[in-house]
Amino acid sequence: MIAGQNEARRPRIGPAQRSRPEGGLRPVTEAAYPNWDAVYRDNVTWVYRLMYSKVGNQPDAEDLTAEVFMTALKPLRVSATVPEVRKYLKMTARTVLAGYWRDRMGREITTIDEDLPDESGGEVIESDAPDRVRVVLAKLPDNYRRILELRFLQAFSVREAAQQMGVSVANAKVLQHRALQTAARISEEEAS
Amino acid sequence: MSGRPVRRFVDGLLRGERTEPARPDDIEAQEMKTAIELRAARTGSDSPREEFVTDLHRRIAAAMDDGEQDDAVVRRLPNSTRRQVVIGGGLAAASAATGIVVGRNMLARTPSQQASPPTQGVMEPNAGTWRPVGASADLPKGGAMAFDLGSINGFVHRTDAQLEAVSGICTHQGCKLWLDAPDSRLRCPCHSTSFSLEGDTLAHQLPTAPPPLPKYEVRETKGVIEVFAPTESA
Repeated sequence: MIAGQNEARRPRIGPAQRSRPEGGLRPVTEAAYPNWDAVYRDNVTWVYRLMYSKVGNQPDAEDLTAEVFMTALKPLRVSATVPEVRKYLKMTARTVLAGYWRDRMGREITTIDEDLPDESGGEVIESDAPDRVRVVLAKLPDNYRRILELRFLQAFSVREAAQQMGVSVANAKVLQHRALQTAARISEEEAS
Repeated sequence: MSGRPVRRFVDGLLRGERTEPARPDDIEAQEMKTAIELRAARTGSDSPREEFVTDLHRRIAAAMDDGEQDDAVVRRLPNSTRRQVVIGGGLAAASAATGIVVGRNMLARTPSQQASPPTQGVMEPNAGTWRPVGASADLPKGGAMAFDLGSINGFVHRTDAQLEAVSGICTHQGCKLWLDAPDSRLRCPCHSTSFSLEGDTLAHQLPTAPPPLPKYEVRETKGVIEVFAPTESA
């Protein structure tokens, strides 16, 4: 129990004034969530974003997010601190994603890094992927970069992309495929 | 040479569909990974749908209710008005299934955490004085009244022979509470939070229950009700 802090003193009789020595100011740290509801609301967005960044589609990102919370919340002691809870959620997300890929592809296509100290309590989102994408795109020949930007980043259909680039639809398809192959090679080189 | 599996994967990805099973080789896997990164870099497409967030909340709530019947512990701590819900059980099983090692800190309350739970405390200024807030005659048994001393404001009420005083500031975002005398409640104008005259949080519409109101020391001397208030700086 918290001794002293909660005990009401009973100064019904006493001097009209009193004071006590001032202690040093302490920073606020180690906050805990009051209940699972708070854990969920505070973390659902970054867990979803993390999953989305790893699978690239909404239905799977939603399923995986649900799996993370269903797996993590039950055994979670709500007395854990906020950074502990976040770390635990991230570890759960890592395991859930690995299982998803092994099941679908027999291997892990994307992974969640173990490390990344996010004790700051702020952004827990991994943001290196967009940067990597930018670096890779910058290294591609113009037409390769263009087709990938139109299709992946700007969500144009093949037909629309072909029109914008002034090529046939069949050409656009081939271009897109080769552009992705090249981008993948560059991306691998960047990573190693 | 990579080919069909990647094309199919990319087509589905760009249509926003679920990932279809495949057995890619190293090169194909790298292309899929790159495709995901490209797709995920599209701005504004990575926020969860509101309906999904709400629906998952409902599903978790249902799952938690099931669990509570057999393995969770809901207890009321003695000497505390705050309900503490400790969710336990199933830890070993879930950890084994997911391969997660839960650190000791997840299992035990550490001393550092004890400072943070919202419990009702008594306001104890570093330096303070007893200040009159009203006449004893004005506060019948069961009654309540507001006071404002500048440095603090709040409500004092009388139960049986006892006087009690609590802060008049909502613990959520600092809005000034008003006394709903017929209902014996203190209500917050901002988010419909309500507190009892004793300061317990009774109802709220927030994700997290705001802590109870701090209490003030209060006494009665010679027909005058006095509250112990911080000494105002000159």
